[in-house]
Amino acid sequence: MADSTSTCSLVVIILDTNPAWWGRQSNHGNPKLSLSKCVDSLMTFANSHLMMNHLNKIAFIAAHSNFSHFMYPKRQQREVTDIDTNIGEINDGKYELFDRMNNQIKDEIKSLVLKNMEVEFENDSLIAGALSMALCYIHRMEKEKPIGVKMTSRVLVVKASEDNPAQYMNLMNTVFTAQKQNVVIDACILDNDSGLLQQACDITGGVYLKIPQPQGMLQYLLWVYLPDPSTREQLTLPARVQVDYRAACFCHRNLIDIGYVCSVCLSIFCSFSPICSTCQTTFKIIAPPKLTKKKSKKPTT
Amino acid sequence: MADDDDKGYRWETEYEKTWEVLQEDAEGSLQTSIDDMLHKAKRRKLLEKITNVRLGMMRHLFIIIDMSVSMGDQDLKPTRLICSLKLLESFIEEYFDQNPISQLGIIVTKNKRAEKITELGGNPRRHISALQKLKERACQGEPSLQNSLELALQTLRHMPSHASREILTIYGSLTTCDPGDIVETLKILKDAHVRCSMVGLAAEVRICKKICSDTHGKYTVILDESHFKDLLNQHTSPPPAMMNTESSLIRMGFPHQNLGGDRTGHKPSMCMCHLDSKTVEGFSTTGYFCPQCKSKYCELPVECKSCGLTLVSAPHLARSYHHLFPLDQSKEVPITDFDPGQHIFCSACQIEIQEQSVYQCKKCKCIYCIDCDIFIHETLHSCPGCSSSRQTQTAEAVFV
Amino acid sequence: MANSLFSTRTLDCKDLHVYLKTLPSHILDRLYNHPATCLAVFRELPEIGKHYVMRLLFVEQPVSQAVIGLWINNRHINEHHICTRALSDLRIWYEQPLPGGMQGWILNSTFKTNMKTALLGGGEPWTGRGAVPLPSDKNSKDVEFLDKYAVERWECVLHFMVGSNEGKDGISGDTIEVLKHSGLMKLEEGEPMPFITPGGFQFLLMDTPSQIWFFMLQYLDMVDSRGLDLVECLSFLFQLSFSTLGKDYSTESMSEGQQRFLQHLREFGLVYQRKRKEKRYYPTRLAINLASGLSSITSDSNRKGFIVVETNYRIYAYTDSPLNIALLALFSEMLYRFPNMAVANLTRDSVRAALIRGITAEQIISFLRTRAHQEMAKEGPALPPTIIDQIRLWELERDRFKFNDGVLYSQFLSQGDFEKLRDYAKDLGVLVWDNNQKRVMVVSRAGHDTVKKYWKQLKQSGNS
Repeated sequence: MADSTSTCSLVVIILDTNPAWWGRQSNHGNPKLSLSKCVDSLMTFANSHLMMNHLNKIAFIAAHSNFSHFMYPKRQQREVTDIDTNIGEINDGKYELFDRMNNQIKDEIKSLVLKNMEVEFENDSLIAGALSMALCYIHRMEKEKPIGVKMTSRVLVVKASEDNPAQYMNLMNTVFTAQKQNVVIDACILDNDSGLLQQACDITGGVYLKIPQPQGMLQYLLWVYLPDPSTREQLTLPARVQVDYRAACFCHRNLIDIGYVCSVCLSIFCSFSPICSTCQTTFKIIAPPKLTKKKSKKPTT
Repeated sequence: MADDDDKGYRWETEYEKTWEVLQEDAEGSLQTSIDDMLHKAKRRKLLEKITNVRLGMMRHLFIIIDMSVSMGDQDLKPTRLICSLKLLESFIEEYFDQNPISQLGIIVTKNKRAEKITELGGNPRRHISALQKLKERACQGEPSLQNSLELALQTLRHMPSHASREILTIYGSLTTCDPGDIVETLKILKDAHVRCSMVGLAAEVRICKKICSDTHGKYTVILDESHFKDLLNQHTSPPPAMMNTESSLIRMGFPHQNLGGDRTGHKPSMCMCHLDSKTVEGFSTTGYFCPQCKSKYCELPVECKSCGLTLVSAPHLARSYHHLFPLDQSKEVPITDFDPGQHIFCSACQIEIQEQSVYQCKKCKCIYCIDCDIFIHETLHSCPGCSSSRQTQTAEAVFV
Repeated sequence: MANSLFSTRTLDCKDLHVYLKTLPSHILDRLYNHPATCLAVFRELPEIGKHYVMRLLFVEQPVSQAVIGLWINNRHINEHHICTRALSDLRIWYEQPLPGGMQGWILNSTFKTNMKTALLGGGEPWTGRGAVPLPSDKNSKDVEFLDKYAVERWECVLHFMVGSNEGKDGISGDTIEVLKHSGLMKLEEGEPMPFITPGGFQFLLMDTPSQIWFFMLQYLDMVDSRGLDLVECLSFLFQLSFSTLGKDYSTESMSEGQQRFLQHLREFGLVYQRKRKEKRYYPTRLAINLASGLSSITSDSNRKGFIVVETNYRIYAYTDSPLNIALLALFSEMLYRFPNMAVANLTRDSVRAALIRGITAEQIISFLRTRAHQEMAKEGPALPPTIIDQIRLWELERDRFKFNDGVLYSQFLSQGDFEKLRDYAKDLGVLVWDNNQKRVMVVSRAGHDTVKKYWKQLKQSGNS
């Protein structure tokens, strides 16, 4: 009774809805995971999260190949409360709140897929945009929370398609912002390993896991991603992945151990060249090593 | 404060009718003018940035803290010294956050002498613990500006020329007690291209103003504690580079991290940063190994003691990229441009916008509310709308 | 029941788990037959316990105890034991031997099925949701009306307890029975109406969710005597607490017993029904806070805080409700009253008067804290620490040394001798204090002679 703060937790789920990858999955002779099963598992995960604490909240963003869409909670005018009595009656034993949320998300995904049949298909999804939207939403929720409630937030990214290297800078910006705001980024990888998300999880202290058996996705979600960061210390979880923090040189995109960095624009090169290709600055040839300079001490006035 | 000398003294100018700023609206309430002022205050910070100037990304900064008798004064709570040390701690964290490959050193002046507390280094924790120890020391005697500047010069002189050389002084006294002519020191500072800035706690002192303006630094005097915080934060962003700063290719190493665990077959070893410590701290299998000489370090960025190679990791460089590719200002669009009955929602946080103006990104035309706009420009540094679309992604094709 | 006006027994407000543990096991199993109960019980589990249940939810066979022990980090093994005990006590899981012979845990199958229903769907619709959807209500009520109604009805009960005339009507005999049974009010012979006891004062100072929960528990204790089924009522109560505010529900599929229960709830202000025979009802905020607000009572979300406490011991209460002012007058000295505000002073005498009546310092402090004005709650602790400490100090002042004359008996040769003498003194009622380990006892001066005689008798009979 003496403790006057209660805690709640906000989870933003980002689902990679790349139509090319999901379409290829269903064309498989033996599909391991279809979009509807994946969405079902995520719904159950979201319901379980809301079940943990009555103040917990959830949000859902879809990262499509050329845009990001905020699916839940829907935009509301400020004066209207969130009772939507137009939703049809529930005729089974599911808790009302879960039912409403699940139906809303299923409708949104359906309309998302149907409205975008004519789009050009790419092999990767733009996660950085969805992550920045998530961070803005978390920033807004921090301001709107009731007094006396402590809120922790995290982001769960469910990714299947490949990385887009052009996203590097935007993604790193969002990762550093997440680190500053104490937001943990978790990654649940279905197919291709993603170096970018490995770095993101490592920097923010989240869990990165490539699911060995996609059919058991729900069990992995409930075991690994359901506990919030403070509870995670008490449970035993999969070990941290070794992240390769070497940089890639700008000329060949090889990973290098030792490189040359331009002091003006911080671009990385594997070998010495007199002109920086990014900022067009000319460099002079490197002077002999600093040892000789250091030894001659100028007399102080 | 006193940036423009030609304005004259404050009592010579016309009096300002500050009460006219507040306007009452039709019902006699002041709320709209208060909202207006808050709104302008929020935007003011963003509009002050200058773009398209080359910045000095690698900085070597010395902080000189005055520990003379005047710092024991209680006009800042609890004393000027303790308040400054507290604000400097958050300054140091922010500094290393914005400039990960830079270095910092601390010098203290009292009793007419100057003393170096920490050497130039890139590990924020060492500096912060040194600052905390300073709290217990007493403030005594007179400060010496010349001695402290020369002590800083001794080290800064030998720094490579592609890095910026800076001094930031927190000065609470109105006097200085020097062994020689400070104008000579000023000449040496100018020749060595050191940029000297000061934050005064008491009043404006002419010699400080001269030093700062001659070396192209900034001289400011605080009004109160929150103003002090703001002024310090202005020094965290990289300053425009001096004319002479040479650009060169710096050789850097990107070490492997070994997470440890017995399965990898690595043997435990002693790390180079804790060689002098008396405890067994640093003896483990985890750590970063220098690619040139294979010595082990606990943390990055660091300069390898055996071979002199600067060791960083790729995210450290990535932290500075937002200075080099800053986000454009967004366009302010009044709410009357949209249909009157239409509800407008912010594309980032989905809130319904009820203020008088919305902000639109020039590239992707997404609309944001003022809070998201400030968040995007100050913290996030990338527009959600632009990052979500292939065409408007960061147009730096060099990364592809 | 309080024995005298000077009793300092605090009200025992059990939380959900403690209450459930007092129920016999067959009732508990029947209770778990509804998703709402399972949800409510789940929410009250310790954090790690919740994760254990979630992990086992989709597993069909028993899992060995050793494996579950590995789930948690070695450093937190204490919490693991606390959780396993809690889960076993509530019969959420029980032991079952694995095929290999080792012991394993398996979730209670009723609990598991109903949790899955709540999460995934399937099963029967909850009470209040008919197969036929209700036509939209012509007289639909909005949230504001419901809040006002709920507060009005509940305050009726509270007014009745305080004895002010506002609460005279609208209280049925049933409610009075519950109040008497719970010890909050007492009926003396010769008096027409019962009056409030010290326990009742403590009850009044609690915040609304705790009050409602305590009251409902007492009501449920008496439920059998009214011919209602405990399981039915309890599960209906839980379903109510998970409903949405502002939405109406139908009474179609409710049994006779549940309908009667609904009428009682209507009287306490937990639901709103326009007429007795009306086919729809609206749950109010009081009901919804019930199961969720138990362990984390921060502020009354339905009532805005209205008390500002200053460091010079002044209290400003921005309220005009006579009930609130009566409560405030219990422990403070009223100074001024304005149309929208009352000013009171916390003095040593006023707090002592409350302490003598049986109210503890903690209750006064939590009363002030839960009703603190929003502006106070914004910055740091809601109440100034000086005031909190001073109230506690005034309470401690009453712990004084009491001097009793007595005679010390020590150096007994054997434990048996000591115990015989001690029991004899206790039977006589003259034993003041004893310590078993040191074999020392103190007898009052009046009884000393009698005890000495008895001891001499004992020794003689022992020796001879």
